[in-house]
Amino acid sequence: MPRNFNVSTESRIERGKTWHAPADATRVKSFEIYRYDPDSGQNPRIDTYEVDLNTCGPMVLDALIAIKNEIDPTLTFRRSCREGVCGSCSMNIDGTNWLACTRFISDTMEPATIYPLNHLRVIKDLVPDLTQLFAQYGLIEPWLQTTTPEPEKERLQSPEDRGKLDGFYECILCFCCTSGCPSHWWNGDRFLGPAVLLQSYRWLIDSRDEAAGDRLDDLEDPFRLYRCHTILNCTRTCPKQLNPGKAIAAIKKMIVQRRS
Amino acid sequence: MAHDKRPLSPDLQIYKPQLTSVLSISHRVSGIALSVGTLLLVSWLLAAAAGPQAYSTVQGFMHSWLGLLLMLGWTFSFFFHLCNGIRHLVWDAGYGFELRTIYASGWTVVAASAALTVAAWFSSFVVMG
Repeated sequence: MPRNFNVSTESRIERGKTWHAPADATRVKSFEIYRYDPDSGQNPRIDTYEVDLNTCGPMVLDALIAIKNEIDPTLTFRRSCREGVCGSCSMNIDGTNWLACTRFISDTMEPATIYPLNHLRVIKDLVPDLTQLFAQYGLIEPWLQTTTPEPEKERLQSPEDRGKLDGFYECILCFCCTSGCPSHWWNGDRFLGPAVLLQSYRWLIDSRDEAAGDRLDDLEDPFRLYRCHTILNCTRTCPKQLNPGKAIAAIKKMIVQRRS
Repeated sequence: MAHDKRPLSPDLQIYKPQLTSVLSISHRVSGIALSVGTLLLVSWLLAAAAGPQAYSTVQGFMHSWLGLLLMLGWTFSFFFHLCNGIRHLVWDAGYGFELRTIYASGWTVVAASAALTVAAWFSSFVVMG
């Protein structure tokens, strides 16, 4: 599909410049990277960077850091832990969303294409505005809620009940899934999206939480939950190999079951 | 405000088509094709009720290459929508969400709809002679 198909004027992507590798480079790899500078007054563009892999670590994040350090210091991206636990460096690599720090350069195409997460307002280069997504996260009240009197010590949970949270609590909120969800592209103002619904499920099944009824009331809405059409791009793209699609189906089932 | 001028990052334009999303949109497209195809079926029945001349006109169209192509598309849409509908039904019951299962069931649906389409056309040619 053409890059600028059905795109608004300010979002049209233009052709940028190519940064050639030094003449003595032996293992050259090209990266086509989305660039946008809010101060320039210009449209986004695609710059091509040729990186000598001999001077660079093995991951896509290493290449981005090498570009920023040695080729073009204006390249802007989020990163922190460089080991897949912070969720900062999520971006679109070769057409699907993943963490730059856990994707091997050797697994990317030639040239590798790197865009910010999809369908979000871009602050600069690979840094999208996540305000809306975190507001949606806040909406599900992601904390333990109780009505019974506080016990003398902590609220206990059996190892079995704790085990039920495995595969759901590990989400790092990188939003690879939500920004890769077509339903969230078209209805992101009201549909909560896979990342937030996965977290909602994590609290719904917590044996210590006592607000499941209210939580389900808040979700039982044509848009918030039911705009999920089981496309499953979410489960396909999750860099932590979690399963938002399965969690959403389980929430839908909980709503049906409490009616009967 | 500067915020309103910010570009929107690309989505459909650059997101890689994959089995998950392609089968999902195909489910919708085949549903629409089935609705439109039903009009063809209704026109055929109406013509049969109207009389021999109207019937032979519609029959003529059905046997043209365009009519055959439309019916082939309608048959495939029918079997695809049926098979993928069953896949969705299993998901609604809460099963089949492991990534490997998603891909296995997806390819099974594609293969089954193709096989059923071929079988339906083969048997109709055998019956028609």
